[in-house]
Amino acid sequence: MIFRVFVNFKPGILDPEAEAIMQTIKNMGNKSIEKIIKGKFFDIYVDDNKDYFKEIEKISENLLSNPVIENFKIIKKN
Amino acid sequence: MKKKKIISIIIFPGSNCDRDLMVAVEKNLGIKPNLVWHQTRNIEKTDIIFLPGGFSYGDYLRAGIIATKSPAISEVIRLSKKGIPIIGICNGFQILTECNLLEGALLKNSNQLFKCEDVFLKVTSKNKFTSSYKKGEIISFPIAHSQGNFFVNDQKLKELEDNEQIIFKYTSKEGSEDKNFNPNGSKNNIAGIVNKKKNVLGLMPHPERAIENFSSRDGKGFFKSIYEML
Repeated sequence: MIFRVFVNFKPGILDPEAEAIMQTIKNMGNKSIEKIIKGKFFDIYVDDNKDYFKEIEKISENLLSNPVIENFKIIKKN
Repeated sequence: MKKKKIISIIIFPGSNCDRDLMVAVEKNLGIKPNLVWHQTRNIEKTDIIFLPGGFSYGDYLRAGIIATKSPAISEVIRLSKKGIPIIGICNGFQILTECNLLEGALLKNSNQLFKCEDVFLKVTSKNKFTSSYKKGEIISFPIAHSQGNFFVNDQKLKELEDNEQIIFKYTSKEGSEDKNFNPNGSKNNIAGIVNKKKNVLGLMPHPERAIENFSSRDGKGFFKSIYEML
């Protein structure tokens, strides 16, 4: 089983990288873009013996994201 | 040197200010510090701990986060609870916020630049880490970082202000706290803070690079304060 953990900044946290990407897209000619939110994801592969959701949640809280500035979301993939 | 004290500097893979710090400590405090490898599981006796600048673990995932999972940091957390002074400089500050010994987080600089320059700082609160400076004194240290943009939410910011936990702010030479003198977008120009108990300090600027004749020598006051504290 695979757990995919998405991590991105909470609303209101400035992300200069996303700003730069948006500016580049605008420079490439697309003027309709209003906002870009950049994030990352982690695919965590585990065996199928039990449900590891709680453990993945803990890892996401304690390592993969910083709760001060980031949110995370976990989806299960088969 | 009046006292026999133990000073520890924790070294992570990717630390690169550990030697500068070691030299600054030796020159200003007359003590040869213990260099502690990050895998050390037991720091038995120390009177103060430094976390140096650099790029621990290559800043993978988030600056400082991987270092927080090392055995030596468990010891730093344990000793901080006992009141041992902890000082994190630059990457050390990032590590201290990531392991929740300090409030907030350090984001990428808002101007998208790696900033390497001398800055002016106001000593906004006087405590044992700044006892050699006057409150409100303007000093100069160099900075060298791309992720020094200090962030806290408004409620935490108020707590930091009310408890006088903000120690250094970026200012002009005259002490103006205008955002033009903020090199990285830090909230309220914050450059350094302490925890509630005031025994853990984190700062982005480098006092250990401000002790020689070719640079600002204002860092000497920082180390003098530490000497007085021990």
